[in-house]
Amino acid sequence: MEMFAQILSSGIAVGMIYAVIAFGFQLTFATSGTLNFGQGEALMLGALVGLTCVDMFGMNYWLMIPIVCLFGMVQGGFVELIGVRPAIKIKSEFGWIMSTIALGIIFKNVAENIWGRDALPFPSPLPMEPMEFLGANILPMEILVVVGALVMMLLVEFFNRKTIYGKAVVATANDRDAAGLMGINTSLVITFSYALSSLTAAFAGVLIAPLTLTGAAMGGALGLKAFAVAIIGGLSSGMGIIVGGLILGIVETATGFYISTGYKDVPGLILLLLVLAFKPSGLFGKTAIKKV
Amino acid sequence: MKSKSLLPLLIAIVGLFSLPLFISNPYYIHLIETILIYTILLYGLDIVVGYVGQVSLGHAALFGIGSYTAGVLFFHFGTPIWLTLPASIVVTAIFGGILALPALKVIGPYLAMVTLAFGTIAQILINEMTWLTEGPLGIKIPKPDLMGAPMSKAQFFWLVCIVLIIAMVVVDRFVKSQMGRAFEALRDSPVACDCMGVSVYRFKVIAFVISAGFAGLAGCFYAYSEQYISPNTYNNELAVLFLLAVIMGGRKSRLGALLGAAIIVLLPKLLDDINLFRIVASTIAVVVAVGAAMALSKKVTTPRRVMVPLAGVVGLAAFSFWLDRISDWRLSIFGFMILLVVYYLQNGIVGFAKSFYQSIVGKTVTTRGEKADDIDDSISFISAVNNQNAGTELLKVDSVLMQFGGLKALNNVDLSIKRGTIHGLIGPNGSGKSTMMNVLTGIYQPTAGNVLYAGQSVVGRTSSDIALSGIARTFQNVQLFGEMTAIQNILVGLHHTFKSNMFEIALNLPSYKKESQEAYARAMALLKFVGLEDLANEEARNLPYGKQRSLEIARALALDPELLLLDEPAAGLTAPDIKELLRIIRKIRDSGITFILIEHHMDVVMSVCDIVSVLDFGQKIAEGKPAEVQADEKVIHAYLGT
Amino acid sequence: MLSIKNLEAGYGKVKVLHGINIDVPKGQVITLIGSNGAGKTTTMRAITGMIKPTGGEVTLGGEKIDGYDSHKIARLGLAHSPEGRRVFTTMSVNDNLLLGAFPRFTGSRPKGDIKNDLERSLEMFPRLKERRNQLAGTLSGGEQQMLAMARAVMLNPEIILLDEPSMGLAPILVEEVFRIISNLKSQGVTMLLVEQFAAAALKVADYGYVLENGKIATHGPADKLMHDPAVKAAYLGGASSH
Repeated sequence: MEMFAQILSSGIAVGMIYAVIAFGFQLTFATSGTLNFGQGEALMLGALVGLTCVDMFGMNYWLMIPIVCLFGMVQGGFVELIGVRPAIKIKSEFGWIMSTIALGIIFKNVAENIWGRDALPFPSPLPMEPMEFLGANILPMEILVVVGALVMMLLVEFFNRKTIYGKAVVATANDRDAAGLMGINTSLVITFSYALSSLTAAFAGVLIAPLTLTGAAMGGALGLKAFAVAIIGGLSSGMGIIVGGLILGIVETATGFYISTGYKDVPGLILLLLVLAFKPSGLFGKTAIKKV
Repeated sequence: MKSKSLLPLLIAIVGLFSLPLFISNPYYIHLIETILIYTILLYGLDIVVGYVGQVSLGHAALFGIGSYTAGVLFFHFGTPIWLTLPASIVVTAIFGGILALPALKVIGPYLAMVTLAFGTIAQILINEMTWLTEGPLGIKIPKPDLMGAPMSKAQFFWLVCIVLIIAMVVVDRFVKSQMGRAFEALRDSPVACDCMGVSVYRFKVIAFVISAGFAGLAGCFYAYSEQYISPNTYNNELAVLFLLAVIMGGRKSRLGALLGAAIIVLLPKLLDDINLFRIVASTIAVVVAVGAAMALSKKVTTPRRVMVPLAGVVGLAAFSFWLDRISDWRLSIFGFMILLVVYYLQNGIVGFAKSFYQSIVGKTVTTRGEKADDIDDSISFISAVNNQNAGTELLKVDSVLMQFGGLKALNNVDLSIKRGTIHGLIGPNGSGKSTMMNVLTGIYQPTAGNVLYAGQSVVGRTSSDIALSGIARTFQNVQLFGEMTAIQNILVGLHHTFKSNMFEIALNLPSYKKESQEAYARAMALLKFVGLEDLANEEARNLPYGKQRSLEIARALALDPELLLLDEPAAGLTAPDIKELLRIIRKIRDSGITFILIEHHMDVVMSVCDIVSVLDFGQKIAEGKPAEVQADEKVIHAYLGT
Repeated sequence: MLSIKNLEAGYGKVKVLHGINIDVPKGQVITLIGSNGAGKTTTMRAITGMIKPTGGEVTLGGEKIDGYDSHKIARLGLAHSPEGRRVFTTMSVNDNLLLGAFPRFTGSRPKGDIKNDLERSLEMFPRLKERRNQLAGTLSGGEQQMLAMARAVMLNPEIILLDEPSMGLAPILVEEVFRIISNLKSQGVTMLLVEQFAAAALKVADYGYVLENGKIATHGPADKLMHDPAVKAAYLGGASSH
């Protein structure tokens, strides 16, 4: 029973991180039909920038968060400008796939050169003693991760539902042409959705950094698994992402425990392949009707 | 191949083989060997990337599977090369098939992710299954034995050369055959591909399997070449490098693959030596600047277009002088190169060189392919349908209901299409005409009801199956295979006449050559019929709109259909084009083919249809001779509202 | 108000409009009729920036708008109720209406009293008022058409373009739609109405243009056009010069 509770609690924390990153995928896909293949690197940069603020400038963890979020926005806007906008203009899917991959590689390399190739510890803002709950050891930081992820997603939902600018974003996602007819500058909306997407990734980076080691390589696996979550949940369903994240997080933790840590990443990837083989629109998504 | 282009190729081959005799340092031989091995892999990758047009991040893993098949067989069983080689090819090809399965229903970024997931899983498995692969320890492999003793470096090099040449010939034959055309059709329009009898699912699997086979072959040689393999070689970084190589060298080009391989092998070596890199980067910057100046002076391009690439290469050169070591920035440079290539060098170096040369020299070439032979007028390009059963029912639509959510696009529609007639289908926008077309060709499954073609139900069968049983169609929005030439489009329609398999194509056997010639002759005859014989080698997307429509009809005819569905064939046509269309339709009808014609152009409907059915809101509101329908109160009301 | 001169437009290689001239004076309802494929929707799209014209010019209140992006044109006061309604299906009726007033929120157009206008809109479209919190995607075709029109009105526009409002609607709903158009007309709203149903359109319009194969075949005061045999010929072929 304790084992089960432990797997559950660790799995939920990990799963919520995946969900937050996947959330970013959804944002850009909804408005522009494109994804940032370097989303994991956005997370990585956020974590490293946060580390520099806290370590080198001695900043308080909580003060550092808005700075990292701001950095994330700029980084996302940059990716859209350089990698995505030119591809959308020439209507080349191949273009934005390859250029977001390329930008991801460049970011990783730049990070390696600035921060080195080693994984660095990130000072935790909360005490590192685990608390006991139903036989499981839960770190306060893990709770912060879950809370932080939920708060971020709720904030974005609030923005989308309650502000006119948020509604403009949802409208663009729903029907880009019609949104333009309403006077909404849709290419600005797309830039914004990339900025927001990188913001959530950077935020996720500083949330998870105290729980694992921070380094230039942390983005790759996380990005791929977040993509798996986005696909499994369905690129058009917010709820689906949370469910997908939890499923993946728990399955992964269980695999790591019962089989071996080396195989930890495999079930998520196999689940991704299965979903793409049988229901590409995701467990919660809607299948699109072909128009000929 | 013509004798003119054969000579430089022969010289190159002789040069290649003589390299070990002139270069004494084995390091350089090994470097070139690696380039050749990568080239074999890139031939395979090009099939997926250049021909099917998808991004694959899984080829490093397939490469690894090839290497490890050889390594594992050698390590556990001491298997000799003449067994490990075919084993590597077959095992990797099987994995290629496995990779294709989740990829069947998806394209674009989803497909890229499938390959990425596959690649990651494969690398993890190789790393973890230590009982099989020795995991991170890796496997040592000596050079293969030749007549009792291990091969020398030179002998192995020659073996690689021979295999490369064979691979090059085989790939060249594949992509120029009906298989290559099927791959390109898949890329240009999956829907039209299915409707021309070329199954998208089937050819996707074939593309991945063949591609994987080449990767496996390359992987096997790589293992013997390096003499040591370990899991972390076959990572995602290598997968991206392979992609860079294919697009930078040039897609759909054997030379491009070789160039790309050379770049990704030599560049890291170049980056290790900062001085050499500075020289090369500066030279490239100067070359690009001079080229830009030449192009600007000839008014071939604008300052805006050359600004970014020029700034890029100059910046790179400057960057190299600023740093002391550049090898740490290797990946950034690769990423930067990808960006440059994706936006400014879309056809790779080979493609760019071709168009640059042409723009300087002043030749405009949009045509490709061999000159078409004289057209044999005696070939009957439309296989005449048995006229004896004229008037009997060919197609029966029985109470078909097509519902999308709450919307009934087709609401209990009955149609009876008689053999040898031209049956018009008209109605206001949104009345369900195109939906009916899509139901008849298997793109939609009807929610209820049945469709019987020559007595057999069509419901539940795939589009390509339906197409092969005699129903061909054109599309409301032209669905040609844009990047392929006119004659190639027709040849895809003639795919069903090709019976040769992979081996017959690879060996260029007489049976295949005969099939190919007959198909070409028939294709030319079909082009002549629609008046396009002079544009046979023109890319379909460059044809004027009216001619594109004619080409679509000719392509549909290539299927030897009994029933031809035309979806708004006159849309956007000028009056002379419409006259030509009517001529074509009548001629086709004379050979006994039955038509269903969706049209808004009333003149077309009136002048050529035998019977007309009118749809409104998914229901049939009138049916009869054209003049009767034109005067029908209900029809007038549906269109005009009076 | 809106003036179109020698407009040419198409899709890629296909040229659909071969130089058309339309004039929409302030306060009037002008209708553009013609059969499918004649180019009516292409005309609308070219005016509102959904596609870029390849020739000719479009002037709105004196300013040349051909070549502008849609959002710029909307901000100048041109509201478009597009073909197929294109309401935002995942958002509520209320939100759809608020989005219609987007440029007023951001200051590109005079703000006025958005809340008040929203309530007044809902009064004019009682069916929508009942369903104000319902998702637009769950509305029937007729209700979506009302919503698209109400959304256009929310802009407080200089001119409203209505593209095939009757398409896919049952006759009784078509009547209701045209009653609303009449209502708007009596309030002095300038409108350009593109319609498949010639009869209903000509009844409510002041002046009409008949589009055939991308050219204006004939034009004149609406009541005269209604009895012109050329109109029937444009739709159903028959005895006319082709």
